[in-house]
Amino acid sequence: MFLAFLASLGIGTDSREVSPDAALMKNLLRQDVNSFEQLYDRHSHTVYALVLRILQQAATAEEVVQDVFLQLWRNAAAYDAERGPFVPWLLTLARNRALDHLRLKSERQRRREDQTDELPPVASAPEYEKELDERRRVERVRALMDGLLPQQKRAIELAYFEGLSHSEIADRLKEPLGTVKSWIRNGLLRLKEGLQTAS
Amino acid sequence: MTNGDQFRELIEAYALGALDSQERSSLEAHLAEGCADCAKALDEASWLVSQLAYLAPDAQPSEMLRGRLLHTVRAEARAGKSAKSVSAIPFWMWGAIAALLLFTTYQVWETSRIRVTIDSVNKTAEEEIAKRHALEEQLAIAQREAIILTDPRSVKIPMGTDNKEMPQLEAMWHAKLGIVVSGQTVPMPSGNRTLQLWLIPKAKDGKPIPSMTLRPGADGKFMLLVTNPPDSMYATKALAITEEPAGGSPQPTTKPIWLGTIS
Repeated sequence: MFLAFLASLGIGTDSREVSPDAALMKNLLRQDVNSFEQLYDRHSHTVYALVLRILQQAATAEEVVQDVFLQLWRNAAAYDAERGPFVPWLLTLARNRALDHLRLKSERQRRREDQTDELPPVASAPEYEKELDERRRVERVRALMDGLLPQQKRAIELAYFEGLSHSEIADRLKEPLGTVKSWIRNGLLRLKEGLQTAS
Repeated sequence: MTNGDQFRELIEAYALGALDSQERSSLEAHLAEGCADCAKALDEASWLVSQLAYLAPDAQPSEMLRGRLLHTVRAEARAGKSAKSVSAIPFWMWGAIAALLLFTTYQVWETSRIRVTIDSVNKTAEEEIAKRHALEEQLAIAQREAIILTDPRSVKIPMGTDNKEMPQLEAMWHAKLGIVVSGQTVPMPSGNRTLQLWLIPKAKDGKPIPSMTLRPGADGKFMLLVTNPPDSMYATKALAITEEPAGGSPQPTTKPIWLGTIS
């Protein structure tokens, strides 16, 4: 309420300035354990849910979550709050780590060049995005994805959660490559339109 | 700079990590050229893709994980603080410190020397990686050409010539992978002039569409790959090759040497 009041006066309306996550990340630079604890409590369940969905194994998922949060602790300077919000960056980092882990288990994928220890770049939130609490954000994305054609949703999930390429998805689904490309692109564009409309 | 429009439709799939290696390499090369529009689109697409994380079913990590992490973090924080704390230095120790400084100076010099060596090794490694990428690109092109030439879905387009001293050429058009034009014992164009491929549209008054330029090798052989032909082959009436100034022309300046009609 107080933030809303300030916003109505045009004060403190830059969400990056008041973002609790950005402030906590800044505190990690001086090794503030309490800030780390708060960050963990705020986001560990989302990170764990994502990593578990990718790896399908609780023990391995916890290893990866541990690795992700220790990276935050040891490389807090890698996050630049000026460039974009924290949570999408954290989720991208977690997904990359989980997919790297998944690929290491597969001899076929071991030779891929895109396994890396680099941290992902921070993506800025689009203009249409507004601050939402996490529960509403989850409900909104799930509802929009449920509104896609089942094959569009399936193709996007195979790419996102299993790290498959267009041609690997085409092989898996036994569908033409061009069809799979269209499903993924059109599905993501519909999701984007939905997010724009919902904002 | 490459036209960003052809890359724009790859951005979402790139952010998702779904592009196959050839498309991914092409897009990364385009982004490295500094296309601001594509960089902005990628930024937005990265954010969009990150939202897919919320599709994962709800789950909670164990309390043990929390305990392990906090234990590690507290230990590292303590170690960091103790390293920073300053203790009183006894007077007699200044001599030892002076010796240490001398040793440190030597170490800095030695480190600098090693760094020069490392830089040199890194440079060599980067050059080798660049060579490998170039070879991979060549291999991808060769594989694509081989598929176009052997796939039964490719359409064969013989390219004939009125000049009896010139050999016949052949083009293969694959609806998805592109066009390969190949020939042997083709004479080298004079001076800096080059051969240029044209796509002649079926539409009445349609102007020839300029395509790629080529010069045969010393042995007269060449193989030309066009990766981005029009979506429909049937909008094209014929393929033609003319001789043009170096770098090619926006419209043909000479009569076609070879012509292949698409039936």
